[in-house]
Amino acid sequence: MKLQYISSVKFKLMLPLMVLLWMASCKVEPILDPNNPSAGGITQNASLGEIQNLVDGTESGMRDNLGNYFDGVCVIGREYYRYSTSDPRFTSDLLGKGTAVLDNNTFYTTNPFAARYRVIKNTNILIEALQNTKAAITDAQRKASIAYAKTIQAYQLLLVFNQQYNNGIRVDVKDPDNLGPFLNKDQSVDAILALLNEANTDLKGSAAAFPFKSTLFGNDANTFSKFNRALAARVAVYKKDWTTAATALNESFLDLNGDLNAGSYHLFSITGGDQLNPMFFPLNASGETRVVQPSFITNAEAGDNRLSKVSLRTSAAFQDGLTSNYDFYLYKTNVDRIPIIRNEELILIYAETKIQQNQLTDARTAINRIRNAAGLGNYGGVLTQAALIDEMLKQRRYSLFGEGHRWIDMRRYDRLAQLPIDRAGDDVWAEFPRPANE
Amino acid sequence: MRNSIIRFLLLMQGLVLSPLLFAQTTVSGKVTDANSNPISGASVVVTSTATGTVTDAEGKFSIQVPANRKQLTISFAGFQTQTITIGNQTDLQIKMQEDVGKLDEVVVTGWASSVKRTNLANAVASVSARDLTGTVVQPTIDAALYGKFTGANISANSGAPGGGISVKLRGITSLVANSQPLFIVDGVFYDNSAIPAGLNSVSKAAGQGSNSNQDNPSNRIADIDPEDIDRIEILKGASAAAIYGSRAAAGVVIITTKRGKSGKTKVELSHTIGLQMQLRKLGQRSWDATKVQAAYGATGVSIYNANGGREFNYEDELYGNKGLMNTTRVAISGGNDKTSYYAGITRKDDEGIVKGTGYQKTSVRMNLDQKVSRFLDIGLNSNYVESQADRGFFNNDNTSTTLGISFVSTPSWVNLYPDANGNFPNNPLAPSNFIQTRDLITNREKINRFLLGASGTLKIFSNDMHDVKVVLRGGLDYYTLNTIAIFPRELQFQKDGNGTNGASIYGTTIARNSNYNAFLLYNLNLTDKMSFRTQAGFTGENVELDNVLNTATQLIGTQTNLSQAGSIQVDEARTKQKDRGFFVQEEFNFNDIIIATAGLRGDKSSRNGDADKMYYYPKASAAFNIHQLGSWSLAQISQLKLRVAYGQSGNFAPFGAIYSPLVRAGFNGSTGSLIGTTRGNEFLGPERQKELEAGFDLGILRNKLTLEFTYYNKQVEDILLNVVVPTSSGFSTAWKNVGTIENKGIEIGLNAIPVNSASWKWTTRTNFWKNNAKVTKLLVPAFNTGAFGATLGTYRIEEGKSPTQLVGIGSPDQKPDPATGLVVFGNAEPDFQMSFTNTVNWKKLELSVLMHWKQGGENINLSTLLSDIFGTSPDFDKKSLDPTGQKGNGDFRLAALGTTAKPWIEDASYFRVREIGLNYTLPKSLFKNIATVKLGFSGRNLINVFDYFSYDPEVSNFGANAISSNVEVTPFPSSKSVHFNISVTF
Repeated sequence: MKLQYISSVKFKLMLPLMVLLWMASCKVEPILDPNNPSAGGITQNASLGEIQNLVDGTESGMRDNLGNYFDGVCVIGREYYRYSTSDPRFTSDLLGKGTAVLDNNTFYTTNPFAARYRVIKNTNILIEALQNTKAAITDAQRKASIAYAKTIQAYQLLLVFNQQYNNGIRVDVKDPDNLGPFLNKDQSVDAILALLNEANTDLKGSAAAFPFKSTLFGNDANTFSKFNRALAARVAVYKKDWTTAATALNESFLDLNGDLNAGSYHLFSITGGDQLNPMFFPLNASGETRVVQPSFITNAEAGDNRLSKVSLRTSAAFQDGLTSNYDFYLYKTNVDRIPIIRNEELILIYAETKIQQNQLTDARTAINRIRNAAGLGNYGGVLTQAALIDEMLKQRRYSLFGEGHRWIDMRRYDRLAQLPIDRAGDDVWAEFPRPANE
Repeated sequence: MRNSIIRFLLLMQGLVLSPLLFAQTTVSGKVTDANSNPISGASVVVTSTATGTVTDAEGKFSIQVPANRKQLTISFAGFQTQTITIGNQTDLQIKMQEDVGKLDEVVVTGWASSVKRTNLANAVASVSARDLTGTVVQPTIDAALYGKFTGANISANSGAPGGGISVKLRGITSLVANSQPLFIVDGVFYDNSAIPAGLNSVSKAAGQGSNSNQDNPSNRIADIDPEDIDRIEILKGASAAAIYGSRAAAGVVIITTKRGKSGKTKVELSHTIGLQMQLRKLGQRSWDATKVQAAYGATGVSIYNANGGREFNYEDELYGNKGLMNTTRVAISGGNDKTSYYAGITRKDDEGIVKGTGYQKTSVRMNLDQKVSRFLDIGLNSNYVESQADRGFFNNDNTSTTLGISFVSTPSWVNLYPDANGNFPNNPLAPSNFIQTRDLITNREKINRFLLGASGTLKIFSNDMHDVKVVLRGGLDYYTLNTIAIFPRELQFQKDGNGTNGASIYGTTIARNSNYNAFLLYNLNLTDKMSFRTQAGFTGENVELDNVLNTATQLIGTQTNLSQAGSIQVDEARTKQKDRGFFVQEEFNFNDIIIATAGLRGDKSSRNGDADKMYYYPKASAAFNIHQLGSWSLAQISQLKLRVAYGQSGNFAPFGAIYSPLVRAGFNGSTGSLIGTTRGNEFLGPERQKELEAGFDLGILRNKLTLEFTYYNKQVEDILLNVVVPTSSGFSTAWKNVGTIENKGIEIGLNAIPVNSASWKWTTRTNFWKNNAKVTKLLVPAFNTGAFGATLGTYRIEEGKSPTQLVGIGSPDQKPDPATGLVVFGNAEPDFQMSFTNTVNWKKLELSVLMHWKQGGENINLSTLLSDIFGTSPDFDKKSLDPTGQKGNGDFRLAALGTTAKPWIEDASYFRVREIGLNYTLPKSLFKNIATVKLGFSGRNLINVFDYFSYDPEVSNFGANAISSNVEVTPFPSSKSVHFNISVTF
């Protein structure tokens, strides 16, 4: 028998060598996303820079799909018409033309809904990042920052609720695999208020400065608390809890004699990668445009300088059986800021609270403050709750024109039937359908 | 102690020297084919030893045979292996029999394994160098594979120079993940990415109706030089490819390049000159004032009259270039008993059928084999490729700027030619002047690619019974791809506010793929009849790809430098992947009667949600050679083999599917991070394919006629999709494993040598294959995908239906589904395909023909739609479609728009003569017996038969996507070509 050996020693050496190689190669470490920061990574140990990125991303995301949101609520609230050559559904579905109804899988329903929950997701990531960060921040700062995030969550939920109303909303969305239930209407609004209150406990009276810069309303806990309370006042009014509303107003940035435009805003710019104000269209545009529902002009009192929010067109705009001579002109440029909440609304909430608490003179003072600012004389009507409610709603219509309040105001006072019908067979919807994918 | 060392040394010496102690005899001989032509390069080995040699140019050999050995084994590719008993002869005359069914060829089936075809339990397809490049010069390797084996659906994405092809093996293996096979060249994983050049920023093809990129880049497999290839093995499904684990679901293509052989140095020089031209011309609509008025109104008429009613032949202008093709090649190979080498250099310069387009490539390869010592062999491969493809500007857009769209939207009576000073007029009826665009733009891919591979075989131990080897292998595939797209600002669609005042788009991709593996191979010949082969090894692969795309707009003057621009945007996409795996395989062979194999592959990858989780892919197969049984008595049936194989393999999700990224959100002069809308799945696993394959091989009349029959059933489970989720989660979509696709099919191959006489020989091969795919499970509601929506025809993924069904809206008489309003108008999958290869030799003259017939399979042809809309369809006025004979074809089709998608879903069957070649080998005596000179005429796609109403039914606007190929939007037309070749070997 012929045998060929290299050497048994070599043979024996080979085996452990191979095992060694095998062991070395065996473990595969996960590779982090080479293209983007990952949610998983940033929640583990975020730097202050990364927290700032999340804050900026959140405040940027809050603007996403605002155009569709406002078009939804303002068109149904008969504040303006949204004309579009590429999409007839703004004038058919939203106005309930003929047999058209709101669809549960169309952009006007699904996109604003998804955009708000996306911001909520981002703030949940921010909260987790804040909880786990090893950056040098004080406990008070950590708490205040989490409260900042929760305030934004509450505001985003409120916008979803405004459209979903009787359908209720999902509040617990932390775990995407295990989403909480849809709460009913009352539970929903309670949950939003509770979230604001919870946040406020870490904001109110706290001297802590945020470890980041926010554009919403100040950069320290106590200042931001005033924004939180302003939102709380709005929510309390929605749930007709006048006492809570009054308390919240007191702690908010309400200033009866102050600048009506003081408040919190979404910012826009022409910088690359930034967004433009989606509510701006050039005057006298055709095709894509927003034109004012005519009763806004015809119902206005003579001399109301709030008509500067509309602009007479060079020629009337027609589409789908609708006509208007006025462009929606709330924003004069494509980088104008869009209010989240401002002093003018707070004064009107103050008036409303006073009316409901039957302190009618205080209410009249507030209403006169608004009327005078609009270039109108003092309120001359009777001093009854009913008359003042009418007046308050009218002032809200003109003061908060195009800011997404009219439909909600008429709905909470059961007056949707009073909104003008432009074409026979048009409907006024009470809420948007729950998105199909939910 | 000392004693034992001495004893050991003595023993070692005895063992090492022992062969010398036996007497040896020298045996010489000559190896020829059946017609007594010498076979050079045949392997002659003393049976059951490693001692061997190869025959020289005259077929002669001489070998030292130990006295105790009595047999020689002679083998050569394409011939049946023979074992002959030497007896007392010292001058042997060995006639080799043609191996028609390639039964004796050794087939590469895995990392370190090869199996004789007779013992193979899978239908592994092999393509030899002769099949590949023997008939006609091949522009790129992908184009060389058509019709050459069963079970593949190969389709060119367009006719643009530089390749771009989709290869789908055995049906649909994925919906959104990779659907292209894994390419391995000499053990090195070969990147086959298709990287877009960023044309989309000009064409805006993605975004309206379809988000898919339609830049139509070439796949990088095009870089390999087909002339360097010795053979290709195609593992079509999991039953054969399981050993390649998670990257093998779409099949594996194993490419082996040529290597040197010991013996005389062989030098091969060849030059091919060719001409390519448009494969099919459609003609143009002829016009008169009435037609112009109807299509373009008064504006049209005034233009028509201004040009005096002259019609220009724009089809010829745009597609009529006769492209000159030159391929020069030098190959040198040779070696001695220790070293062998192969060097191949190819220079190719092809002009396209559209002026300004073309493909140039230089490839240099050096393969080296060295026996370092008696126990160590090493092999080195190196390849450098430099290529440049100018691909024109075609396919879909939303800006009417591509040459194709501009061509169909311009009637022939508009004058687009420049004036005497070279100033182009604006196209008065469309946003771009395609002659101007053609002459001024650049769309170029430039590549520099290195491929390095090394292998070492360490023979640890060997005797009659045991043979232990370790094989180590490593490889690196590294390339830089530059994509250069330049749209000067004087273009009609760039100037005067129509565009961005010019665009210079410069992309750089650096790809680095490395892999290494180590195996232990152990052969155990337990008895003469029973043997075991054990393999165990591990593998590692790393992938890195970095793509940076700079889009500069608002160009200054004629500058294309990126810094000479008013605005620049940079996008970067990086891919990183690390895979580690192992495999074990045991093969049992009983006297070549029963060959059974079982194996297991384990794989980890950073592409999976859990990077360190091992996924296992088992395989098992058995082949039963009934004719080897002692009791076999049917003399006419020389081979009957039954075989069955089962295996599993995987497929990764698209890169990034495991991540939930935070995306960039600009805000207030700063940049923020906002959660993306797609939720990554951190538990995501690969798609898994389970394939069962069974078949038989039959050989009749000493294997002069062979038949292979294979049936397979392939289940692809855990199909990945990006599905919609409740948006209250913060996400709109999420990656999930949601379905199962089944592919069933048959493959038949029939080989024969009907004639084989002294001067005449005819060999023929007929292939038949068909596949049926079906979605058997779908956890999400049925949905439309691919193409441009139901109005124009789209794919629809629906449980119980084919994943390649084409549906569209239908008129009431077409009985649309009441729930969806959709009608099934076709299926992209062919009914069946056949190919016929015939070679006829008469003395030194050889004629080869490859024919390919694809029956059935529909395309969505939107070139027709666009040319109808602009009134330019060649058959616009013909009245062959309207059953009432009222409307011309153009008006008839347009009337259906919005009512039914039927007119645009067309049968894409074809029959074509893919390759035809006539070769003549000049008598050697003419060259003093020094050189062999061969002359050849050949042609590609010279005969084409199809009803499909466009340039070529083989087309894909969306490249090699798993779903959504077979869509046509004004592609770069296909070409046909003729070539003259001269080659000299000495």
